[in-house]
Amino acid sequence: MTIVAMILSILLGTISLAIGYVQGGVAGYSLWFLLLAAVWLIAHFRKWYWLSSIALLIIILAAAFGVWQEYSTVWMLLGALGGLLGWDLSDFARRLSYAAPMDDTRNLERLHMERVGIVAVLGLGLALLSVFVHVQRLAFEVAVGLVLLAALGLTRLVIGLRKY
Amino acid sequence: MSRSIFLSLLTYGLLLTGIATVKGEFIALALPLVTYLIVGYLQAPEKIDLEATRHLSLERTSPHSNVDVTVTVTNRGSSLEEILLLDILPVGLTVRSGFSRHQLRLATGQSYTFGYTVSGPRGGYVFESLELKVNDHLAVSSSRVRVEAKGRLFVLPPVTRVRNIAIRPRRTRVYAGTISARAGGAGTDFFGVREYQPGDPPSAINWRASARYVDKLFANEFQQERVADVGIVLDGRLRTNEFARGHSLFEYSVQAAASLSDALLNQSNRVGLLIYASYLAWTFPGYGKIQRERILHALANAKTGESQVFSDLEHLPTRLFPPESQIVLVSPLSEDDLMPLIQLRAQGYEVIVVSPNPVKFELSYLPANETIQLAGRVIHMERVLLLQKMGRAGIHVLDWDVAEPFDLFVKRRLGRSPVWLRAIGR
Repeated sequence: MTIVAMILSILLGTISLAIGYVQGGVAGYSLWFLLLAAVWLIAHFRKWYWLSSIALLIIILAAAFGVWQEYSTVWMLLGALGGLLGWDLSDFARRLSYAAPMDDTRNLERLHMERVGIVAVLGLGLALLSVFVHVQRLAFEVAVGLVLLAALGLTRLVIGLRKY
Repeated sequence: MSRSIFLSLLTYGLLLTGIATVKGEFIALALPLVTYLIVGYLQAPEKIDLEATRHLSLERTSPHSNVDVTVTVTNRGSSLEEILLLDILPVGLTVRSGFSRHQLRLATGQSYTFGYTVSGPRGGYVFESLELKVNDHLAVSSSRVRVEAKGRLFVLPPVTRVRNIAIRPRRTRVYAGTISARAGGAGTDFFGVREYQPGDPPSAINWRASARYVDKLFANEFQQERVADVGIVLDGRLRTNEFARGHSLFEYSVQAAASLSDALLNQSNRVGLLIYASYLAWTFPGYGKIQRERILHALANAKTGESQVFSDLEHLPTRLFPPESQIVLVSPLSEDDLMPLIQLRAQGYEVIVVSPNPVKFELSYLPANETIQLAGRVIHMERVLLLQKMGRAGIHVLDWDVAEPFDLFVKRRLGRSPVWLRAIGR
């Protein structure tokens, strides 16, 4: 189940980017995304798990570049989301490979898919909402709240980096 | 780099780009990543409190025998979404069946039991702990914990039963045993004839000697049999035990030391063990089954080693052995071991050397070409000469070809005929 979902996610990410770039008039790049998908899948099955992080980085950079070039934001969002899910499922498949044959991996897979589904729906929903809903004026309190949230996030990042 | 840091960096990169370029789409791009991080952090375990217990089907076993290990892990803290559990095996043990690594989910108060089978060569093995990697479903937050689950396994050397070993130390202890004490008294072996004294049993009267005198009776005297002090010295020096291509005689030496100590303890002697390797491992002398266990445990942990100080037998600490007691050295021997052993004899110790034959051992696995055969003959002659010199110094040397089972070899070379056979003068 995980492998199928991972393949679909990788294809979703790369094909979405390819379509977005084709619509933007740079069809030449599209082939590179399909090649990236192929390399990513081959790397996964050859147990080069480190490559999935590089693939996600490339996909996010490509999506950011697409946004910068004002290609279709929806395709870029779908690309980033597909990349994120592919990266997550690739790592989950790696973790599952450590399980013993008698372990209840089906239950673990089911629960993981539930969480990933929540992330996908929530992430995409919020992203689309932010694309289509434009707030013209932001209240001061909301701005302060956002700044505090950003500071909290940065603190968490710094703590994480120090631990690392 | 951890997953959460990697994602955070990507997220902040997109957010900062969005702020710098005043483009909301960059921030929209970051939202799936932010959602992923938030969902992950929300599900991070609050409190990790795990307990583990371990049960071994056997605590002492023979080499390469299967032992079942059962481990139970109980979650006393908050629910743990994903745990990678790895039971850390002591070096040397191998898993024969089952798995020591598991991926699971543990709710609060839930237990998980798993088992596997291990086996290994001679040695003392200590199980310390389990290593657990706990993370949420998205593996945003993860932590490694070690949970103590102690267990001990002794893989003891094989003990071949050897009966009736004949040793004759100069000095014995006061307790009755099986070793001739060179003194008249109660026993089975004839010692001499003396004048009959009141209290002697009539069956002890030597009628033939008494018939020569009119007014005197003579009684037979038997040799007292007592227990003795025996010090077994196991030579663990690397240079005498290890050979080319990873072959070693040490396992045979350990087996010999185990069998000898078992036999000598069964004869009620007081036995101590000294392992002479990179350091001295001394098992204090004692009697009986507990001492047998102590010696077997010491032998289970015995390893070959090398040190400048103990490279030859010069530093054999004779003070550990009672004066004029029996010393049994188990060693393949080297040329320079002659003088230290002669010195032992000079100090009054009775010395037996059980020497696994290194020449025959090496020739058994080397190709049988002319050069090797010639070299083998030369080394064999050198060894024979060394053993002869030892024999002339009063050292009882037993040259053991390890291809022969140790019990048969000892029975042939050190065996003591049973009491009924000795009674009829055989």
